[in-house]
Amino acid sequence: MDLSPFESDNSVSCRLASQIPDVCRTEDCCLGIDEAGRGPVLGPMVYGICFCPVSKKQELKDSKVADSKTLNEVERENLFQKIDESKSYIGWALQILSPNTISTSMLQRTKYNLNAISHDTAIDLVQYALDSGVQLKEVFVDTVGPADKYEDKLSKRFPGIDVTVRPKADSLFPIVSAASICAKVARDRVVKGWSFSEDMGDVEADYGSGYPSDPKTKAWMLKYLDPVFGYPQFVRFSWSTAQTLMDSKGVTVHWDDDDEDGEKGAQRQNNKSMLAYFSASAGGKGQTSTHQTHRFFTERRLKSLDAL
Amino acid sequence: MSCNSSVTRVNVSSVGQAQRVPVHLLPCEIEHNGPAQVSQYLTATTKDCKQEKMVSFRGRGLKGQELSCPQGYTGFVLKETNKAGSDQEDRTVKVSSVFDKLTYWNLETPPNSDDTVVMAMDWPELAEAIHGPVED
Amino acid sequence: MATKKKRMPNMQNDSWVVIAADSAIDTQKHDSEPAFVRLRNPVTDAASLYMLSDGDVQLFEVKAFEEDFHSWFVGQTVQRDGRLLFVTPMDPLYLMLPYLVKVGKEGKFQPLDQVVMDEDFPACPRLLSCTRALSSLHHIAEEKEVGGVKFHRYSQEKTMNWLKKKVERTVTVLKARNISVGEGVKSTTYIRVKSESDYHPEDFLRYAHGILSEYLSEDLSKALLKHLQLPELTSPKEPEPPSKKRKLSELPVEAEEDYTKFNSADFARKPPKKMTAAQKSLAKVDKTGMKSMSSFFSPKVKAEKK
Repeated sequence: MDLSPFESDNSVSCRLASQIPDVCRTEDCCLGIDEAGRGPVLGPMVYGICFCPVSKKQELKDSKVADSKTLNEVERENLFQKIDESKSYIGWALQILSPNTISTSMLQRTKYNLNAISHDTAIDLVQYALDSGVQLKEVFVDTVGPADKYEDKLSKRFPGIDVTVRPKADSLFPIVSAASICAKVARDRVVKGWSFSEDMGDVEADYGSGYPSDPKTKAWMLKYLDPVFGYPQFVRFSWSTAQTLMDSKGVTVHWDDDDEDGEKGAQRQNNKSMLAYFSASAGGKGQTSTHQTHRFFTERRLKSLDAL
Repeated sequence: MSCNSSVTRVNVSSVGQAQRVPVHLLPCEIEHNGPAQVSQYLTATTKDCKQEKMVSFRGRGLKGQELSCPQGYTGFVLKETNKAGSDQEDRTVKVSSVFDKLTYWNLETPPNSDDTVVMAMDWPELAEAIHGPVED
Repeated sequence: MATKKKRMPNMQNDSWVVIAADSAIDTQKHDSEPAFVRLRNPVTDAASLYMLSDGDVQLFEVKAFEEDFHSWFVGQTVQRDGRLLFVTPMDPLYLMLPYLVKVGKEGKFQPLDQVVMDEDFPACPRLLSCTRALSSLHHIAEEKEVGGVKFHRYSQEKTMNWLKKKVERTVTVLKARNISVGEGVKSTTYIRVKSESDYHPEDFLRYAHGILSEYLSEDLSKALLKHLQLPELTSPKEPEPPSKKRKLSELPVEAEEDYTKFNSADFARKPPKKMTAAQKSLAKVDKTGMKSMSSFFSPKVKAEKK
């Protein structure tokens, strides 16, 4: 697994993929999807797909790529090695969603929530396999949300493919387990080797699991809180852990869309324009002047001052 | 409102010590006046793309561009020295920094010529037309 | 998400980001001391901030570019106040005019130092030190010299001719900078597709007159309009409380809201504000065949553009 395309710019999302095995272009295939690193406040979230001919299912099962959650890091690395060695019939692809992508998407003016991001990423990966000529017949997906709706969505999006969405699919279907191993290995390696683009000097690399509940992660978050900037891009700003820490220990920052949800926002904008209307005549203290500032100035937000 | 008789003098000799610094106009209000690790966080992570710069601040995506001061104009940051006790007293400001270009940032929107700060740069030339000497 | 905090007032502002004409802060002359002063604004009749260069030779105007929710990074610091101040050269005659007009009503010639004074604004007489003030005074006043002492009397005729030249200069720059002078419309589509030739010459005159009126009393502004042979517009210049609803038929020529922008490419490009669930589901409704809200308003506004 060559992570250099992501590491060259770890602020954006990046796709990594194996070669497509020839046999996958000629035989009916199954494909598994799983994600790694959904919960942590640190590092990327990685989406993985793995695919192989339906005829190779038993072989996959025999290679013990099952129940990835019960594996430790070393076992996962070993199993990934195995998957990689089976490149004649197993292919994989990963989408690494950088923490910066997660932050800026979730905090966008038009909010893009994690579920929507997940679904879109999964769909993109399946489409990638199809575009690469993989003869997909079955797709197995692990999910944390409601499975039925997601299954419907994917079935409609990919007619002719048999889609199965299940919670804990990685312990039920070896191909999902394989996808999960690829995703987890990538996430572990990325977190371990994270290179900070911020100029922070030597950064303590012992950030624990990255889960907000991990005391090591918490200590790291406290240590590396900058009052103005908050955190390096390694941190997901959209996580409440980060928000709460910045609120209590950082400088307050206000955006024009704070608190804005539809009507409220529209209301504020109305109020704003009304205020602008009233303040239009510059420095008019107790003035009866009906002068309205010319639009050349109002459009350019230019106004007179009455004091420095 | 301070008194109309008070004036604020600009201590121009301070220009000698003033540093040329990068200035950034941000699309958010930061409730703070004081030091910040701008080069370590903002400058270090800014990406230069074709027509725009990209960075994120507090997890929000910003897009921006550089603007030069209009011709014949210079940017100054003025800082009040020993604040006056009452609004009747004269005040003094010194030049603490100088700049000839600034970078402004929009929240998510790519910079374009309709951005208000770009349009505001029309002002000096218009002012010259309105206020320049008229021939007989 | 964490609860949003209230905005606290910025009490201790002690620094300002300024773009100033090189003539205002002459960095070559280190011993010069320009100063911010307060003078009577001819339009509002209240105090506004100006700057006098060292020795009061030149007058400058101070305007602030100010948008809500902005702050500066200056070097390695944060400046919360996100305003950008412009210090631009100003013609001192605009500030002297109200005093001359007032005394001119008596029809007498007077020494200037008895005219350009204001007990509310101690800095006012300093205007007379401006080089340009005395050398260009003949544009707005008649002059008589008796026994080595100069006397002046306001002349409306001269002033109008002078202002007309100002308007013409302004029109030239508006055209050169391709500034959108269309009635109340500010949108990419119009700025882009509309070039100078698409506007009526009157649009430029009226726009320039509007800008100059930022420096003129209401009476002078009206007189100038007449002098430029521009008909007075009935409604748009009269501000109305925003709460007062207008009927559609009474929509002024200069619409306060630019409804056309909702149709423009520019609007589509900007990310929309967050939507409520209800709005989102509405957004999904197939709107083909439905008349957009803007179409009820735009014909009137658009007609003005032709």
